[in-house]
Amino acid sequence: MTKKQFLSRLDSALKSLPADERQDILQDYREHFDIGLEKGNTEEEIAASLGSPTQIAKELLAAYHLEKVETKTSTGNILRAMWAVVGLGFLNLVFVLGPFIALTGVMVAGWISGIALVLSPVIVMADAIAHPETFQSFFLFISITLCGLGFLVTVGMYIATKAVARGFVRYLKFNVKIVKGGYKYD
Amino acid sequence: MNVQFKKGVLELCVLALLNKQDRYGYELVKKITDQIVISEGSVYPILRRLTREEYSTTYLQESNEGPSRKYYRLTNKGKDYLQQLIAEWREFSRGVDQLIKEGEICD
Repeated sequence: MTKKQFLSRLDSALKSLPADERQDILQDYREHFDIGLEKGNTEEEIAASLGSPTQIAKELLAAYHLEKVETKTSTGNILRAMWAVVGLGFLNLVFVLGPFIALTGVMVAGWISGIALVLSPVIVMADAIAHPETFQSFFLFISITLCGLGFLVTVGMYIATKAVARGFVRYLKFNVKIVKGGYKYD
Repeated sequence: MNVQFKKGVLELCVLALLNKQDRYGYELVKKITDQIVISEGSVYPILRRLTREEYSTTYLQESNEGPSRKYYRLTNKGKDYLQQLIAEWREFSRGVDQLIKEGEICD
């Protein structure tokens, strides 16, 4: 691979990054080539020892998205960071996607139960209007208790979701650092 | 040697090299690859991360031999971090040495 090929491959693999960030990265590798050429190496030799530009790009993308999710924990940012980490290698598909699906399931279930409990008086009312003959005020009291419980569950879920999101981001970082490097050299 | 393992200590190697003096990227890469077999391209993402996390700062300096070079300098925060990593590394390698020794006695 020549210097030009290496840089253009890296550039196109990084096209989801902002232009200035990308230019900055390319400049580092351009400098590396220039100094290497000065020392009498060929472009091919330098490119070969640098390794695959697409693997380098994957590493940089994962770092970028993880940093972004740290400054703003939105659902979109978490998803982008997760895909970037999954992209580092096949193992991450298991180590990242698995826990993510499990956690999402638990969170969704919690939210649905909370909201259903909050809405239970409405359901009792609707039932009372539809079948006034079977209505007992006892149902209403129970549902009001459940509604209160539902509020607690919902607030709890809100706190839990934030904590889990933070924890998951930390896990992603840990994953990038230890579980799978993303580099295949030897 | 195992890839994942090497990658984890690469950060430590970079910081240790910067502890003595400021260096530019190519120099760092060559210093490391003199001792450890790695893909050279992986050093730059580490340098970017260290700079972003304020463990190092960069500045450009003209060179007599050609284009200007980006130098990396360790910050005080980076020096503290290096000490922490060294302590962790020592503890870890002592543990591994011990386990290797125990394995040899069994033979």
